[in-house]
Amino acid sequence: MNEVTNIVVEALPQVQGYVYPNEAGLHPVWSTLIVIYPYITGLVAGAFIMASLVRVFNVKALAPVYRLSMLTALAFLLCATLPLLCHLGHPERCYEIMMTPHMTSPMAIFGFVYAWYLMAVLLLELWFDFRQDFVKWSKTTPGFQGLIYRVLTLGVTDLSEKSVRLDMKMEWILSIVGIPSAFLLHGYVGFIFGSIKANPWWGNVLMPIMFILSAIVSGIALCVFNYIVLTWIRRKTVDMRCLDTMAMFLFYALLVDAVVETLDVLHRGFAAEEGFAVLQTMIREKLFYTLNIGQVLVGTLLPLLMLGLLQLLRRRVPEAARRTMIFCSGAMIMFGVLMMRWNVVMGGQFFSKSFRGVMSYKMEFAGQEGWLISVAILCLPPIILTVLVKLFLSESEHLKPSEHLPETGANS
Amino acid sequence: MKLPPQILRLVLVAMAIVGSYLIARAVLTPPTFGEYGWYRGAALNLIASREPVFAGKQACDECHSDILHNLAKDAHKTLSCEGCHGVSREHSNNPDILPVKATGSHCIRCHEANLARPVWLKQIIVKDHYGPKCTECHLPHQPTKSP
Ligand code: HEC
Ligand code: HEC
Ligand code: HEC
Ligand code: HEC
Repeated sequence: MNEVTNIVVEALPQVQGYVYPNEAGLHPVWSTLIVIYPYITGLVAGAFIMASLVRVFNVKALAPVYRLSMLTALAFLLCATLPLLCHLGHPERCYEIMMTPHMTSPMAIFGFVYAWYLMAVLLLELWFDFRQDFVKWSKTTPGFQGLIYRVLTLGVTDLSEKSVRLDMKMEWILSIVGIPSAFLLHGYVGFIFGSIKANPWWGNVLMPIMFILSAIVSGIALCVFNYIVLTWIRRKTVDMRCLDTMAMFLFYALLVDAVVETLDVLHRGFAAEEGFAVLQTMIREKLFYTLNIGQVLVGTLLPLLMLGLLQLLRRRVPEAARRTMIFCSGAMIMFGVLMMRWNVVMGGQFFSKSFRGVMSYKMEFAGQEGWLISVAILCLPPIILTVLVKLFLSESEHLKPSEHLPETGANS
Repeated sequence: MKLPPQILRLVLVAMAIVGSYLIARAVLTPPTFGEYGWYRGAALNLIASREPVFAGKQACDECHSDILHNLAKDAHKTLSCEGCHGVSREHSNNPDILPVKATGSHCIRCHEANLARPVWLKQIIVKDHYGPKCTECHLPHQPTKSP
């Protein structure tokens, strides 16, 4: 008797209310790895869209961060599939999804969306942007590093005006192709959640849109963060015009994102479909800290307040204070979007399909699904980015300020 | 028309990538893939060739026909022997290997009250029921009878 009674007694504290027998012993199968996976893809898409502001919409003030944001997107994209591979348990079989892709499988198609975005958009655009530099650097840099540059030129050393013009044109075309691709890349993640009809927390047509908007927000925040950190490490002064412009875009993007997410909540409340009661419990109890405190307060309201204040007062705030405020908002937004991913991914697994009970979840530390490995994966892109920045953003050439501000002229 | 040099290189690189994908696909797609559907045709034989682990009720009939007979008379007639006794294929081939000892705990796997269970299944709340040792009052093979 003992063995079974034990199970019954142990299983019960993890659940409240009415859950199906097969849900009682189960903890969420999609854990922290699946939380950081949309987070990373979102950062990629956001950083890319931020870079496109320079190329497509010709926002000159952002030019100093163009390359940094492109490299950020690349560094994070290289790690975007890692959480999934770790989660699968048989990472060595991952190629099979590409070998026999099925058109009705979103995961299979994602393989191609990902490959397209990495190879046809990001790498190509970076290549065209850096090509002239590769040629120059390959001539001046000795040793292994020089060899890397030489390989990257692909053997083309043509720097005539005609070919440089062609590079510019190609970059422009690629950016234009890139924006829908970035939307596709991240909209797809929202698509996967949004198409789970049986789960009222996920099955929602607004899901892809909310994912894209939060992606843009987190991506811009990441660029702000990286830019400030990089100038700090290199002991340069921040180009305030560029930073203010980023803060402005961050503010508007966050505003739109907040409005759409509020709309979603209002709509759910008004429609009050059958699962709504349990969703309310989730918001009040299970996700109280991550949703109300993490996502709404820290990730949205406080940054909105700070950035909004900056929009109003602008030059009247001293530069140092402005920098700190923007930096803090960026960091808070990045944290808030991580919380948003948590709320989406975990939230959908905390309640019973009966809509009358909730389960709980205790995070594992080590182990295949533990949060240690998630943290390790999250640490990887910054490391890759450091290498990329070392290789491709030389101190003298990069982070040069836009011409308009004489006081930061010391940078170049 | 002559392609500009950088475009030409990129076209070559792209062709190399697509080419290696196609070659990889040709080499790595399992030969019987798609024979019947979106899976390896050979998988069917592979699965069919696996040893079944359950023996099935008929296998027990040879030596325990009395129990089969009793079981069929009472409320547990729809249950399979191995549902309570566990996988017994080895035992039915060689009676010296005994199946895992069935204990009373098997009973509450199915009979412990749970709202999610269908109402037609008789349920008890174990701590409110007559006692914890089910087999003292219920014959497992004829649960409505007492020993
Ligand atoms: C070849 C004859 C044979 C077949 C077939 C057979 N058994 Fe048995 N079984 C025996 C014998 C003999 C014993 C008594 C062994 C003993 O008491 O030492 C036994 C004992 C048992 C016991 C009691 C074990 C214990 O711990 O006392 C269980 C339970 C059992 N069998 C279940 C099954 C099930 C279920 C099947 C069908 C899958 C099955 N047997 C098929 C011969 C067989
Ligand atoms: C509801 C669960 C259940 C089912 C179904 C069931 N058994 Fe049992 N069986 C038990 C339990 C419990 C015992 C142990 C009885 C005891 O300890 O007094 C047992 C005991 C036995 C024994 C030991 C000798 C005896 O009669 O006590 C044999 C043999 C046996 N079962 C065979 C079978 C066979 C063959 C079938 C299928 C026709 C079967 N059982 C179906 C629960 C079940
Ligand atoms: C695999 C699931 C299962 C297990 C294990 C099981 N039962 Fe049952 N039991 C049933 C089913 C199904 C019925 C028939 C439906 C009903 O009448 O509730 C039943 C009926 C009964 C009944 C008859 C209720 C009535 O008055 O009609 C009793 C008593 C009973 N079981 C006792 C037990 C005992 C004691 C055990 C442990 C030795 C046990 N059951 C193990 C599934 C199970
Ligand atoms: C002390 C004797 C005794 C013990 C021990 C005992 N029962 Fe019973 N059980 C009975 C009697 C008597 C009835 C029929 C009267 C009733 O329904 O209250 C019964 C009825 C049942 C029923 C049918 C209930 C219904 O709604 O018709 C089930 C199922 C059952 N028992 C399962 C178990 C299980 C499982 C155990 C082990 C945890 C167990 N019993 C232990 C005496 C016992």
